[in-house]
Amino acid sequence: MNAAAISVRNLVKRFPLSRGLTQIARRPFTPRLATALDGLDLEVGYGEIFGLLGPNGAGKTTLLKILCTLVLPTGGIATVTGHNVVQAPGSVRQATGYCLDTERSFYYRLTGRQNLAFFAALNNLESKQAGERIAELTEMLGLSSAVDRRFATYSKGMQQKLGLVRALMTDPGVLLLDEPTKSLDPAAAAEFRRFLRNTLVDRFNKTILLVTHSLEDASECCDRIALMNQGRISLRGTWAEVRGAIRNGGGSSEHAGHL
Amino acid sequence: MKKLWAFLKRDFLIETSYRFSTLLQMGSIVFTVTGYYYLARFVGGSGFSGENLGAQGYFAFVLIGVAVHEYLTTSLEAFSRGIRESQLAGTLGALLSTQTSLAAIILLSAAYPLIWTSFVVMFYLAVGIGIFGVRFALGDLSAAGLILFLSIIAFSGLGTLSASFVMVFKRGSPVVWLFGGLSWLLGGVLYPVAVLPWWLRQASALLPITYAIEGLRAALLRDAPWHELWHSVGPLLLIAAIVFPLGIASFQIAARYTRIAGTLEQY
Repeated sequence: MNAAAISVRNLVKRFPLSRGLTQIARRPFTPRLATALDGLDLEVGYGEIFGLLGPNGAGKTTLLKILCTLVLPTGGIATVTGHNVVQAPGSVRQATGYCLDTERSFYYRLTGRQNLAFFAALNNLESKQAGERIAELTEMLGLSSAVDRRFATYSKGMQQKLGLVRALMTDPGVLLLDEPTKSLDPAAAAEFRRFLRNTLVDRFNKTILLVTHSLEDASECCDRIALMNQGRISLRGTWAEVRGAIRNGGGSSEHAGHL
Repeated sequence: MKKLWAFLKRDFLIETSYRFSTLLQMGSIVFTVTGYYYLARFVGGSGFSGENLGAQGYFAFVLIGVAVHEYLTTSLEAFSRGIRESQLAGTLGALLSTQTSLAAIILLSAAYPLIWTSFVVMFYLAVGIGIFGVRFALGDLSAAGLILFLSIIAFSGLGTLSASFVMVFKRGSPVVWLFGGLSWLLGGVLYPVAVLPWWLRQASALLPITYAIEGLRAALLRDAPWHELWHSVGPLLLIAAIVFPLGIASFQIAARYTRIAGTLEQY
């Protein structure tokens, strides 16, 4: 087994930008590029909750999308449970549960159960197995009574929970969560954090990479955090270490604003 | 098979959740067929006829043309619509982070529209037979089945080619514009290709719909023997063998490009 559940080495991502006709005529073979990740290094251990914080455009979501194989990196190496995201995307998807913008990632006209059964089939689960898993997970997350209602009728909190149920359907070792508490009220967010820590990590030993802007997520839930800015990690450590480093003048003014 | 069933069930549940829409679609088919029936009576009354129309006359002739054109339209649009709707709804990212490949997702997304089109075509033909008394040669349907199968493969190749453009450029597919428009004009849907001038007949020979319609009319209206049907089956086989792999390959290239550009989920 690899030492790290997620390993990222010198990861670079540059997105091509559209060009005007004049620019194309002047320099036809020189593309305009925007750098989203600029030589990023990161390791997340098994059974760890790792928080990624940073201003908008820092490259956090790009990193998640590379890790779940939606975007190809320009350079460097990224592996999830030892599987390379470029060379073995199928194995990476098998090892990973991705919980993204849940509000728009389900079919509004279908019920929660119909949505979950559809995505379960795409994840190669047999229908009996999928049914059992839906019952088990919706019970665990307190969604059983709403699972046969249309997704359109769900509150933000329920949508978020359904997204987590979908990510957990295949029982993956690694979860990639993109701002999971952003639409939740404080009480629901606190409950969600407790579920991540107590149930998923302490009980089921999942590894979680959590992108967040919430200081509560970072301080209450994460074992370690990293502050990202302009495609690089500028500070990393436990919540106390990072906060201490910023107080002692480490990191950028944007980080100080964050914490 | 399990995934195909999942896609069919998803699309059926979503489609039937809009109950009134299905009913209206059926109603519009009856209007369309009735319109062609009276057009056929007018054409028959005008003395315009010929051996190309077959013994069943213009109504049966045009019913087959319109039915095949329905398949072409669905095939051209279903694949790209599958991507476009997922991008707009926001579900594409969720679909692509499953253990199903992008190519499989796109192909399976077109299954329900193609089955629905088959149902619509059956309804067209049933209305033609039941209400307006059209007689088809229904003895040996294997030839018609083969021609239809090859036509759908060739049309689907064009459809995946079209989806590649939509994947990269998001809106506007030259494939739909070119093949959709030209097929209606030159494919023999409403009139025999023989009425076109020589140079347009050469262009129509490059379109798969020409062979699909010609073959199905020969099989269903004249019960033509296999050696005659080969004039349609051969070119259709050739076009399908070229266009389908080309469509899949172009789609893979487009998918890779959008993964590099980070535009896969954008619309």
